[in-house]
Amino acid sequence: MGISLSRRRPNNHHHPQNPSSQLSSSYPTDQPSSSSSTPNYVFAANAPYSYSHPPQNSYPHPPAPPLPPQYYQYNTCGVGMNNRLNFYPPSYYYGSQNNNNNGWHGIRPPPMVSQTPVVPVPYVDHQMAKKIRNDVNVHKDTIKIEADEENMEGLLVSLTLDALVDGSITIIYFAKEGVDCSFTPLYPDARMLVRVPFQKGLGQKFRQPSGTGVDLGFFELDDLSKPSPGEDVFPLVILAEACLPLPLSDEQFDHPRPATSNAQITQAIIEKNSAGAFQAKVIKQILWVDGVRYELREIYGIGKSSETSFDDSDPGKECVICMSEPKDTAVLPCRHMCMCSECAKELRLQTNKCPICRQPIEELIEIRVNKVDQ
Amino acid sequence: MANSNLPRRIIKETQRLLSEPAPGISASPSEENMRYFNVMILGPSQSPYEGGVFKLELFLPEEYPMAAPKLGRICLDILKDKWSPALQIRTVLLSIQALLSAPNPDDPLSENIAKHWKANETEAVETAKEWTHLYASGE
Ligand SMILES: [Zn+2]
Ligand SMILES: [Zn+2]
Repeated sequence: MGISLSRRRPNNHHHPQNPSSQLSSSYPTDQPSSSSSTPNYVFAANAPYSYSHPPQNSYPHPPAPPLPPQYYQYNTCGVGMNNRLNFYPPSYYYGSQNNNNNGWHGIRPPPMVSQTPVVPVPYVDHQMAKKIRNDVNVHKDTIKIEADEENMEGLLVSLTLDALVDGSITIIYFAKEGVDCSFTPLYPDARMLVRVPFQKGLGQKFRQPSGTGVDLGFFELDDLSKPSPGEDVFPLVILAEACLPLPLSDEQFDHPRPATSNAQITQAIIEKNSAGAFQAKVIKQILWVDGVRYELREIYGIGKSSETSFDDSDPGKECVICMSEPKDTAVLPCRHMCMCSECAKELRLQTNKCPICRQPIEELIEIRVNKVDQ
Repeated sequence: MANSNLPRRIIKETQRLLSEPAPGISASPSEENMRYFNVMILGPSQSPYEGGVFKLELFLPEEYPMAAPKLGRICLDILKDKWSPALQIRTVLLSIQALLSAPNPDDPLSENIAKHWKANETEAVETAKEWTHLYASGE
């Protein structure tokens, strides 16, 4: 694998695949009780956990222990970003805080599960999605690794982003995630970290300046093509930060990210396509908003229902059960958005299986896509 | 009487079945009871059932769509434990049609039947041809 590529490895540094398993054994094991709901659960899904769990920065090392999903959003970009639907298919998410190792490694829907006996769940959380405003959004499907015409050795990252404010893109190869969304390059070679400012604008193209690229031939394809076992190091990390282009210094990445800053982090692996060209494959996107780390997950089936106002005759937007109301409720953990909230409630009286994939329902989340509110 | 309080979903499904019928399938509601459907499925070409017309009666119980449609003695897992309210009359009839043409062992909706079919294929094809000849020809 990749023999032709591996010429040499940057010396005297850690191997990117270095596991952090020794560290992970020292994590606190106290899990928040999922039964600690409070009355304001409906509007702020994060409420019960914020009170019952120590803040994330009290953990000495990432990754944090897996937690049940607890933060949700339905519009990553706030009201102003609704315009971007003109540019690009909308991407809606629910986020869950620090759920590294929670078993989700891809972005495809889970396969249909075969019939296994399932104990009915008497109660399932039915939550309202919390809306989170994010000022910068990198379209994850647009990230490309391109040859630098002026410097054939270097490879440049290009992407499309939406930005409501000025900010900066930082490209880091082999970045380790630390406390509070801090990212440190594993190799302090200058080329491993490139920061480029951008101005606000929706659907704008971004390309790393010529001459700042990295020769990926230095790395084993094997190292490029997967994250570290603990998923704290990714071969390619793209930090899209709103506002405040801070002075470029390696040290700042070791510090916890200020709670006031807003950033979107894209973690990717690098593969070779059949033509032998490098390509980035996004594994995870993370939001840092108001001092909280959200992991982004797509909701399947949400796109259609958000395109325009509900049209009674479009089968893609209607609840699969009553076929009358627009769908506004997604099933977790499978993330199928397929029902209206009324039918979801009724379904729960009959079964604990998702109507689309038959996986057990752990949570229902109501997502109002048509209401454009502040 | 039976047609008052007909759920919106049933009305919509009926309208769509009539306005965009699936090829080889016809389903029309009875006038007395809109929950009763007379169904005809053509035996798919290149199948042992080719040339046959299968007549079925389909009934939507009060609990539909939380409960599966009733379809006589047809043995189909999606009509039993694998029913999902996301399925519809149309999808049920398409599943029956698909079973008639070629069971797909990878289709999770008809997994069990496909497995059975695979195991006894020769026998099943013969039986099917025979039955088509006996019961479903020249309608
Ligand atoms: Zn509904
Ligand atoms: Zn599902």
